[in-house]
Amino acid sequence: MSPPAQHGLWPALCCFGRGVSVLLTVSAYTVIAPFGYLVLAVLCACWRRQPQQRARRLQRITASAYRLMFDWLALVRIARFDHRRTLPGRPQGSCVVIANHPTLMDVTAITAVLGGGCTIVKSALYRRRMLHPLLVGAGHVEGPGDDPISIGRVVDELVGRLRDGFSVIVFPEGTRSPRDRLGHFGRTAFEIACRAGVPLVSIGVRCSPRYLSKDDPLLSPARTLPELRLQVLAVDDPTDARLDSRMLREMAESRFNAWFGAALAGHPSASYVQEGKNSSCPIRSKTS
Amino acid sequence: MPDPIEDQLKRLIVDTLGLEDVTPESIETAAPLFGEGLGLDSIDALELALAIHTRFGVQTKENDEKNREYYHSVSSLAEFIRSRQAEKSASGG
Repeated sequence: MSPPAQHGLWPALCCFGRGVSVLLTVSAYTVIAPFGYLVLAVLCACWRRQPQQRARRLQRITASAYRLMFDWLALVRIARFDHRRTLPGRPQGSCVVIANHPTLMDVTAITAVLGGGCTIVKSALYRRRMLHPLLVGAGHVEGPGDDPISIGRVVDELVGRLRDGFSVIVFPEGTRSPRDRLGHFGRTAFEIACRAGVPLVSIGVRCSPRYLSKDDPLLSPARTLPELRLQVLAVDDPTDARLDSRMLREMAESRFNAWFGAALAGHPSASYVQEGKNSSCPIRSKTS
Repeated sequence: MPDPIEDQLKRLIVDTLGLEDVTPESIETAAPLFGEGLGLDSIDALELALAIHTRFGVQTKENDEKNREYYHSVSSLAEFIRSRQAEKSASGG
């Protein structure tokens, strides 16, 4: 087979094929998913007496399901993500994982690699009848909604999860990243890392070409196969920031912005960003 | 005429949240506290609620639909504190 050209019939055919794959996958998901959620709801009820063990089991099941999903997406050429690749520099034990949010696929990719993790879920999604038992059972936390004070409940619950040995995944931008820059980081992730005294792991996510971002919807697949890559940018010990969540946020946000700017410019100094193969990431400190 | 609660609130915001490059005088009474106004975030709101409880004895209830309204600006927050203090004194608390 000749190498695919950037323009012409072949990319257009690939794009059309991906569109058909997306439609078939979404249709299959719509038919099969309710049964899966039903099984998980039954498991939640069966394991209700041991909530922590239930959460761990459900998170493991979810992570396995995401790995299967990525194998399927690669098979039908919708997107590619190698969940078997480890993240060098990631600490063992509970931690707060923060990441930029270029695509809807990144939370599933991070969970697939970590093997689990608690997240903050938007209220509307959290209260959806079909998902609610799984989200509660797996230890995910309902977002604060419009009430600025209810972030206190969210912080308390997440610190509790960290103390129970779970990891917490937060997208500090609060929504998907804009195309040409990163959004402003909120302070929740940094506050819970400081309160719980656990490492803060910064993961850079790249999806090239962009897919499932705010501007690239599900049914508009790119002409080339989207590939998702994760890279540990740094592991910060909150005591390095004197347990000050503002300082910790500034450290992390400026690092992410520098990384994103270098990646956007294709700067050679951002080589670790571009392919994610070597491990020259600046690990500040490691905590087991 | 300056409102004493609004003035205290402005000082409380600067002191409690450790805002650099912001003075109580530079905070506009009607400007939004969050987002494009003073740029506070939800954790700031939480710290501010605790400080208001300590300073004014007024507790902010969680999951109150009106919290967003109360915490919109210094003037709305001052109005919230005044109304809660009036309720307290009316009930003899």
